[in-house]
Amino acid sequence: MVGPTELLNTVWIGIIYMIIAIPLTLSYRVTRIINFVHINFITIGAYVGVILFLQGVNSLLLLLPASFLFGAAIAVLNHFIAFSPLEKRGANPVILMIASLGLWIFYKYMIYAILDLGQKVFRTNLFSVIPRATSLPSVSLGNYVLSGHFFAALLVAGVIITILYILLSKTAIGRAIRAVADNPILAEISGIPRERVVSITWALCGGMAAIGGLLWAVFAIATPEVGDALILQIFAVSVIGGLESLLWTGIGAFIISGAENILMSILNATLGVPVSFRPFISFSALLLIILAKPPLGAGGGLPYRFKVGLERFKR
Amino acid sequence: MTLGFDVLGFLISWITLFGTYAIISMSLNLEIGFTGMADFGKVAFYGIGAYLAATITAIIFLVVNGIKCPLHSVEAIVALKKCASKNPLLNIGTFVLCLFVTFFVTGGIGYLISYPTLRVGPAFLGITVLSFGELLRIFMRHFEPTGGTKGLAGIPHPLAWISNPRLRDGIYALVILAIMLLTYLVSERIANSPFGRIMRTVRDDEIASLCLGKHVPRIKASVFFLASGFAGIAGVLLAYYLGSVNPDMFVPAVTFNVWAMVIFGGMGNNKGAIVGSAVITFVDRISFVVNLLFPEAIISPDYIRWMIIGVLILVTLLFKPQGLVPESPMKSPALKIISDELEGDNGA
Repeated sequence: MVGPTELLNTVWIGIIYMIIAIPLTLSYRVTRIINFVHINFITIGAYVGVILFLQGVNSLLLLLPASFLFGAAIAVLNHFIAFSPLEKRGANPVILMIASLGLWIFYKYMIYAILDLGQKVFRTNLFSVIPRATSLPSVSLGNYVLSGHFFAALLVAGVIITILYILLSKTAIGRAIRAVADNPILAEISGIPRERVVSITWALCGGMAAIGGLLWAVFAIATPEVGDALILQIFAVSVIGGLESLLWTGIGAFIISGAENILMSILNATLGVPVSFRPFISFSALLLIILAKPPLGAGGGLPYRFKVGLERFKR
Repeated sequence: MTLGFDVLGFLISWITLFGTYAIISMSLNLEIGFTGMADFGKVAFYGIGAYLAATITAIIFLVVNGIKCPLHSVEAIVALKKCASKNPLLNIGTFVLCLFVTFFVTGGIGYLISYPTLRVGPAFLGITVLSFGELLRIFMRHFEPTGGTKGLAGIPHPLAWISNPRLRDGIYALVILAIMLLTYLVSERIANSPFGRIMRTVRDDEIASLCLGKHVPRIKASVFFLASGFAGIAGVLLAYYLGSVNPDMFVPAVTFNVWAMVIFGGMGNNKGAIVGSAVITFVDRISFVVNLLFPEAIISPDYIRWMIIGVLILVTLLFKPQGLVPESPMKSPALKIISDELEGDNGA
């Protein structure tokens, strides 16, 4: 029922959820925008990897920076063409969210159009690619063979999280980012160039999400829907962190991934629930978290409402 | 090149599509335009409405005619085709029943799904309802009683007893227009009532309306109930028009379409929603014709159309946030009396 396969899946899917969800939380904290374009960062990151792979680039060390740069460029571009002008005009969070929805639709179908074109030019199927970019040695443990990709994912995630931690806690840029996240007006008064800090944050978040997408493509499959398929899980993970705490977002990634793999296999074995009902677990988790531990004040909400929330607010 | 272009048929299909989408746009406008709730899952309620209508109608027709077979089986489709035009009263009765049942059921589901999310901020409503729609689609794909991925087909048209198909579709388009007009009147009445004023306060400043003693989540939930009900009615109309439903008709893209209509037409204005849906459904129909003309285009016109929808939302928000038809001041009896008196004074 619950074997090593489920445990391993929990770990590596959890890692990818973590790499994708942490930038979502971070970008929300700094910019207060629920960013649907995050979904496109994932797909773009995955396809930058795929296209380079088809061109013969076969090393993760080259694919990772390429994905990062593309994701970062798109994120900064979004900031300058859409979010920054809207914010200057004083648009409320809902309008910003709708703008990100518009961008999401645009990028999603632009990716489709480009792939459609590429398919006709390169004469290969681009809509479902499995790039096995690296030929890493695999390790056998008893009856189970651990592929080298698994360790590569661990390594990449470890390095990225460490870099992010050092950046946020030890450097001047990190301090500025945290200051803007906590109180943008106060940060600006203290002489922090807010616009520049926000664009650096966007670059960081877009790049990280793109790397998450690349890892997903390398270890699973790349389709134009790869980001859309992950949206529910990623948001559930971020809500576990209350759109506030990066640590809890990281823990939430493993909670959701564990629920999806371990709980799902138990349900499948005992009740015969089809595996494609996996997203229902994330959805119930999302609703449960919102009911049990509502992220107060997040997403433009008022810090009151539920009884528990009300009492916490009074204290 | 001669085009076998059928203008009347084009107009009828456009009016049908326009009426259906105008109802959903107005319902979305109640949510985003008047109350400030970002509902990214309109398609969920549209789909529930369509499926409810299809299921109820199929069951009623099979039971009345004493046929026992699964709803999605080929025998059922054949039997439904046979008994569709027997009894005009039954057809119309089922149609009206479906409209009522769907309104309350989809409204109730909307109320339930909004309960946990309305209390934590608009962003969570958006993401929850968006994924609710997708999950519903996944569920329907695996739900055998309604046909799984194939869905239901052969749903008897409420006007199936009219033998001329052109006349039937024409009258049905008029019925849809009438229901759209009714929705417009109801939305307009709500928007200009005291409740409409509260809705606008909630949109403009939640904290202020809270301080004035308004129960914000309850107001939002009521609006969500109404709007989901209207979306369900649009779904019923669609199900009867097409005569079949399947899960892949209700993809999130439908929601994006409706959003583009509301934002392009103008938020906070029912006329804007209607104008927006008229323009976008017209472009949609035209692009369908263009699609037929250029089957071998380098990039599928479908993708281009969706990209334009995305850009349209963004550009409208950036450069003309009030949309084509800006929000008009409220109309209320008291305001009318005052303005009449003022005009009277001026005249005297």
